[in-house]
Amino acid sequence: MICIATCFSHFGAIRFIRLCKEQGWPARAMPVPRDLSSSCGTCVRYEGECPEKPLEEVEQIVELTPSGYRPLYRAQGS
Amino acid sequence: MNGKKEKISIILAGLCIGVISIALVLLGNPANMGFCIACFLRDISGALGLHQAAAVQYIRPEIPGLVLGSFLVSFVTREFSPRGGSSPMLRFVLGFFVMIGCLMFLGCPFRMILRLAGGDGNALFGLAGFAAGILCGVFFLNRGYSLKRTYRQPVLDGSAMPILQLALLALLIAAPVFIRFTETGGGPGGSHAPLIASLIAGLLVGALAQRTRLCMVGGIRDVALFREWKLLMGFSAILVSALAVSLLTGKFSPGFQGQPVTHTDGLWNALGMLLAGFGCVLLGGCPLRQLVLSGEGNADSAVAVLGLAAGAAFAHNFGLASSADGPTANGKIAVVIGIVAVAGIAIVNTFTKREEKA
Repeated sequence: MICIATCFSHFGAIRFIRLCKEQGWPARAMPVPRDLSSSCGTCVRYEGECPEKPLEEVEQIVELTPSGYRPLYRAQGS
Repeated sequence: MNGKKEKISIILAGLCIGVISIALVLLGNPANMGFCIACFLRDISGALGLHQAAAVQYIRPEIPGLVLGSFLVSFVTREFSPRGGSSPMLRFVLGFFVMIGCLMFLGCPFRMILRLAGGDGNALFGLAGFAAGILCGVFFLNRGYSLKRTYRQPVLDGSAMPILQLALLALLIAAPVFIRFTETGGGPGGSHAPLIASLIAGLLVGALAQRTRLCMVGGIRDVALFREWKLLMGFSAILVSALAVSLLTGKFSPGFQGQPVTHTDGLWNALGMLLAGFGCVLLGGCPLRQLVLSGEGNADSAVAVLGLAAGAAFAHNFGLASSADGPTANGKIAVVIGIVAVAGIAIVNTFTKREEKA
């Protein structure tokens, strides 16, 4: 499935891409889509699954579906 | 919203904001200063007695308008989200030095575009420095710079900034004796559009900037980071529409000498904006974006705005701000200190945190 992970920092996104590559999931950094968040930070679009233990820099992970975004993960207190 | 719609909406927003900015000049704001977050925060600091420069004291309704416009739209769209806790003190310091850089150049990145649109060649030096500063920030972003994560905060924490704006508007309308206003003809603070026009302009720009995430720093940063041109299109659209309206209304005056509220020292125009661009990347957005985020409930951005206001007060109390005569010796020293301080914050928050993670 195609997912988007938003991160608290740009470097968090770079680290998440590294994690995706270790899993063999194609991934790239891009600006957060406006309809997902009003934040203008960095997110990662990747083809894979929701990791069991996402990095602490990951704010949320959603799956891209034909009807919109399906939430998969959200960091505590965010 | 898909990518194409996002691009169209940001271009339209930029075009509208350019027109609004020139309209404010036609209604009474200083030339090439339809909107300037740095100048307006400086004027508000002066009106509140935080500095004594009599020429630049006025509670500019555009600032409360921006914050409240962003607040209202984010509240309606359920995007208002009180959050904070991401290195607030460092954000204050960064905001402080961004203002020192802006007042060396005599304008924020927003005014830099409006100065270009008015034909001010000195702003080209500012633009070059601004881009260089953003690239400095991008260098550290790619190597691990982070001010750490934000956390959800109580609603009152996120609402404090919009409430403060209501208090500012109340002070402007009541005009008690302890609030200082520059007299007409007494300097830039004495030139202003009617209150209601300025407030409506602020509300509109705040709402548009919230919906589109318009950011003067984000445009160049996103091109450098992702080859993504969307935000830069908004920046360019403001320039195009402000230029068109300037030409149509006879406000376009190309050249370097005699430009309104500017100086001609290219080196220090560039270094001032280098400091501003560098600091803004580390803050995550330009002064306009900090105001908009504070309206959305971001307490960290509210602290950055307070840093900007404190920087403005210091700049005028200690002779750091430039004038039409050029930069001051104190201002040059402050900009150098600012570049060193911002670089220090970048280095510490890049390399030490990376070691912590390893």
